[in-house]
Amino acid sequence: MFDFVLYITLLCISLAMVGLVYRVIKGPSTPDRVVALDGLGINLVAIIAILSIILRTSAFLDIILLIGILAFIGTVTFAKFLEKGVILERDRDNL
Amino acid sequence: MIEITYEFIVGLFIVVGGLLTLAATVGAIRFPDVYTRNHAISKSTTLGVTMILVGTLLYFFLFEEHFNSRLVLAIMFILMTAPISGHLIGRAAYNSGVKLAERTVTDELERDRKKGKQANSL
Amino acid sequence: MAFQMLLNFFLAFLWMFLKTSFTPAAFVVGFFWGLVILFIFRSYFPDRFYLHRVVAIIKLFLLFIKELILSNLNVLKHVLKPKMDIKPGIFALPIDLQKDWEIMLLGNLITLTPGTLTVDISDDNKILYIHAVNIDDVKESVDSIKNTFEKAIMEVSR
Repeated sequence: MFDFVLYITLLCISLAMVGLVYRVIKGPSTPDRVVALDGLGINLVAIIAILSIILRTSAFLDIILLIGILAFIGTVTFAKFLEKGVILERDRDNL
Repeated sequence: MIEITYEFIVGLFIVVGGLLTLAATVGAIRFPDVYTRNHAISKSTTLGVTMILVGTLLYFFLFEEHFNSRLVLAIMFILMTAPISGHLIGRAAYNSGVKLAERTVTDELERDRKKGKQANSL
Repeated sequence: MAFQMLLNFFLAFLWMFLKTSFTPAAFVVGFFWGLVILFIFRSYFPDRFYLHRVVAIIKLFLLFIKELILSNLNVLKHVLKPKMDIKPGIFALPIDLQKDWEIMLLGNLITLTPGTLTVDISDDNKILYIHAVNIDDVKESVDSIKNTFEKAIMEVSR
């Protein structure tokens, strides 16, 4: 019963990821795609959490923090690129 | 008996989290423009994933008696960074000139910016 | 605040050395007795007892969790309605907070309140520009933002 619930939730999140991939492909503007990619990264965290319960192992739990950090850095980088056209600013005078 | 209660609590957290995540995606597909989609994803997904992570933490604590502090760190991190990334995307979209949806009622930011430009040019 | 906390940790370690037991349990007991000692001598410190600030931070965190759940229910309502009758818009909110980190905290909390998302801030740090899913029910929520969040943040930084 408990495993059945877990599989149902896994299906829900997989459907959510498919919907977000639709938004990534179709999205009329670039920020739409970035929003959807951010959501994909966070959903990946959820999938890893549920998989580690299904497999009854705590070995994957370190990866959760790692993917959370990577998704955040990716989103910040994209946002900065969209706004300024560069990611790392070299000239410190214009701060 | 107590095992079933534990399973019920963990399962409730995880199912509600999964449904919230699914609802966020429905919002991301249905809403008309970037800003409203951003609402759906940066809120519902955050709470959904947080609930799933709390369920995982409870599962490993109750069944395997293993309190994973890295999961607590991950929950704190996601709760802290989700509004920041939502705000950053919203600002980037506005500054790169993405149009608001047609049903938008007011835009006081555009009004104030125009006012600022006029004041500068005078 | 930092000095009192450091003193508390020092007392906890002192307790551990006196007991010659270096376990987390001994640390917690020492921390508790250090807290009691600091509480007794609280009137000799220039600023107020630091536990007040910790309590204010915990209150702010609980408020944050409550608003996160409420905002999700609100967005969920708009998402699942078969006919979409939302009226999005951007409105301006004047704020009274001055320090940078207070404004950052307020912006983050607003992003997680019912149907609002911080888009931009004016150059003189006086006005926040907020995007709302439904502009009609925002007029009341502006008051609640000003009353609950700004007050709770001021409680922490006072």
